[in-house]
Amino acid sequence: MAVIGADDTGYGHDDKPGFFARWFYSTNHKDIGTLYLIFAIFSGIVGGYLSFMMRLELGEPGVQIFEDLHTYNVFVSMHGLIMIFFMVMPAVIGGFGNWFVPIMIGAPDMAFPRMNNLSFWLLPVALICLLISFFVPGSASGNGFGGGWVMYPPLSTTGSPGPSFDFIIIGLLAAGFSSIFGAINFITTILNMRAPGMTIHKMPLFAWSVLVTAALLLLALPVLAAALFMLLTDRIEGGTGFFDPARGGDPEMFQHLFWFFGHPEVYIMILPAFGIVSHVVSTFSKKPIFGYLGMAYAMVAIGVVGFVVWAHHMYTVGMDVNLKAYFLAATLVIAVPTGVKIFSWLATMWGGSIRFTIPMMWAIAFIFLFVIGGVTGVVLANAGIDVALHDTYYVVAHFHYVLSMGAVFGIFCGFTYWFGKMFGVQYNKWLAGAHFWTFFIGVNLIFFPQHFLGMQGMPRRYVDYPEEFAYFNSISTMGAYLTLASVVLFFVWLAEALIVRRKVEDNYWGEGANTLEWTLSSPPPYHQFNQLPVIKDDDGH
Amino acid sequence: MTRHKLTARILIGVAVAMLGLGFASKPLYDTFCKVTGYGGTTKQAETNLSEILDRKVNIYFDSNVQVGLPWDFKPEQVKLTVNVGQSGLAYYKVKNTSDRAITGTATYNVTPTKAAPFFIKTECFCFTEQRIEPGQEISFPVLFHVDSQIDEDKRLKDVRDITLSYTFFDIDDEKNAKPSVQLSGVKESLN
Repeated sequence: MAVIGADDTGYGHDDKPGFFARWFYSTNHKDIGTLYLIFAIFSGIVGGYLSFMMRLELGEPGVQIFEDLHTYNVFVSMHGLIMIFFMVMPAVIGGFGNWFVPIMIGAPDMAFPRMNNLSFWLLPVALICLLISFFVPGSASGNGFGGGWVMYPPLSTTGSPGPSFDFIIIGLLAAGFSSIFGAINFITTILNMRAPGMTIHKMPLFAWSVLVTAALLLLALPVLAAALFMLLTDRIEGGTGFFDPARGGDPEMFQHLFWFFGHPEVYIMILPAFGIVSHVVSTFSKKPIFGYLGMAYAMVAIGVVGFVVWAHHMYTVGMDVNLKAYFLAATLVIAVPTGVKIFSWLATMWGGSIRFTIPMMWAIAFIFLFVIGGVTGVVLANAGIDVALHDTYYVVAHFHYVLSMGAVFGIFCGFTYWFGKMFGVQYNKWLAGAHFWTFFIGVNLIFFPQHFLGMQGMPRRYVDYPEEFAYFNSISTMGAYLTLASVVLFFVWLAEALIVRRKVEDNYWGEGANTLEWTLSSPPPYHQFNQLPVIKDDDGH
Repeated sequence: MTRHKLTARILIGVAVAMLGLGFASKPLYDTFCKVTGYGGTTKQAETNLSEILDRKVNIYFDSNVQVGLPWDFKPEQVKLTVNVGQSGLAYYKVKNTSDRAITGTATYNVTPTKAAPFFIKTECFCFTEQRIEPGQEISFPVLFHVDSQIDEDKRLKDVRDITLSYTFFDIDDEKNAKPSVQLSGVKESLN
């Protein structure tokens, strides 16, 4: 084998490959991270469009937009799938994870750069499959699959015989394998490639959060893949009958498999946001994070307990009361490590020198809104109450408070925190502030009234509702208009920042920002750490 | 790089194991239901070896057919009162109202589900597939008993009524006809 010097490869210095090779054959973790972020923004527009149309429809009683009622169900289902698999996960894991995990642990790149490329490029393929599913026959009612993101049989087997759902299965399998490859890559990178002196207990909390998330992905996604394979073979004529009672199967088994994946999945979406918020709160309080080890192991605990609570999504299937009692108790246990995190963030801010920068506002809003979503989660964990609230708008409000406000606020928090680091330019803080406040008010206006609707008994996934629910629905839809305006403001500040190009220095947040990415230039060199950083014993986290 | 490869191999092994566990869940789930009576899965036995106690239990009978299956399926008695341990014999009447022979199979469960591990069938039409000729009417026996161990479990002190439910499915339809568009294949009394 010929000996190749660093200079011979053309990658030794900061010279980048040409446009096509750089973005399409990309093996650079920062470029792939950027691709993931662009992809997440695109998917967010698609998923956001679907939800906006739903909110327009629900603005008043009667059927306004969806004259083909089946299409409404298609929109509901696809909004969930696209936002989860193609917006939140690519943003927090693929985007920020790729960008900052190697830098934060002092590694030159990911462990398997080409597999990283494969992980990313499986996603557009998967999204194309899902988009095709809109336009091919789903059931006798029309095009597209309207069985909800949970895909329960028999609605997803005999109920949707058309090819539409097959495209969704293929797309989700592709997205699932993309995430499994990504998870293998992250775990290998974090376990093997930390800089000298960076023990696992000195690793930044964002790297911790991605490590736990990757472990959850590795354990949960293969189960979803198995369930999807079984659905696929059940759908074939004369195929298997895993979920078909006529052939000895049980549709309830799909629900168990799905939620064995589905519950860890919600932590997969929120844990990286926990990591981001920890750094932001610490930076802008000018204090190291309170209870570092407790914070790290709280995430581990959430991940572990997250695997043994899945049936709280299925209290109404007719479970034994003892089983309900177990899942109730196990679910409430999750409030303990989550509480550890909330109180540690508050303790970090306590007595700190707080600066209310844009990312700090997103972080504080995250903590506030995530607590609201967490509290309604504790309510729903109670099997007795859940029987009444199951599949009502109370549940919709709950999981949008933890995801649409939790995970998404975490994403904007990370984006505004690291924007200058990633792209070397800073945004206008008035525009970004306007984006924050309109988004904060907008999403609260959308989802807070939905608690009341749920308590009044309005079921989810219906295109129409009785007159009694009109008032809170109209407020909710007004919130959607405000959120739409807010999304426009997001693109305005993004475009303004990229056009005006206000250059930033290496550590533009100053004292308090002390993880390794702040020792590099903004944006970081194409290949960082020609000399590996050495972490000394007295270095903070 | 070997360290990377080793880590990656272990992680791939974990992912493959979870995939395997996903598929293995089918037999595991069936076994779990049989052993624990989860979801109201009843037990089977060759003969009734239970001792007969003084405690009485009302057994109610319920019947359902899959949507679109042209069978008239009714229990011949609404309820039977038996002593714990005593064998009970109930009959279900099935009539094929269509003009073609149809083979069907019945799924079954009991409620309350906690009574399922103690509800034992020694003879049942649900153990095998049933073929019924056009217009034919058959009376199927079910021989069952409630095991005397039910009396030893404190959780089951309150059980005075047990409902036995059957749902008949058309298995020809599943094998031959293409999946028909129906809102739900099951019209089952979910326990």
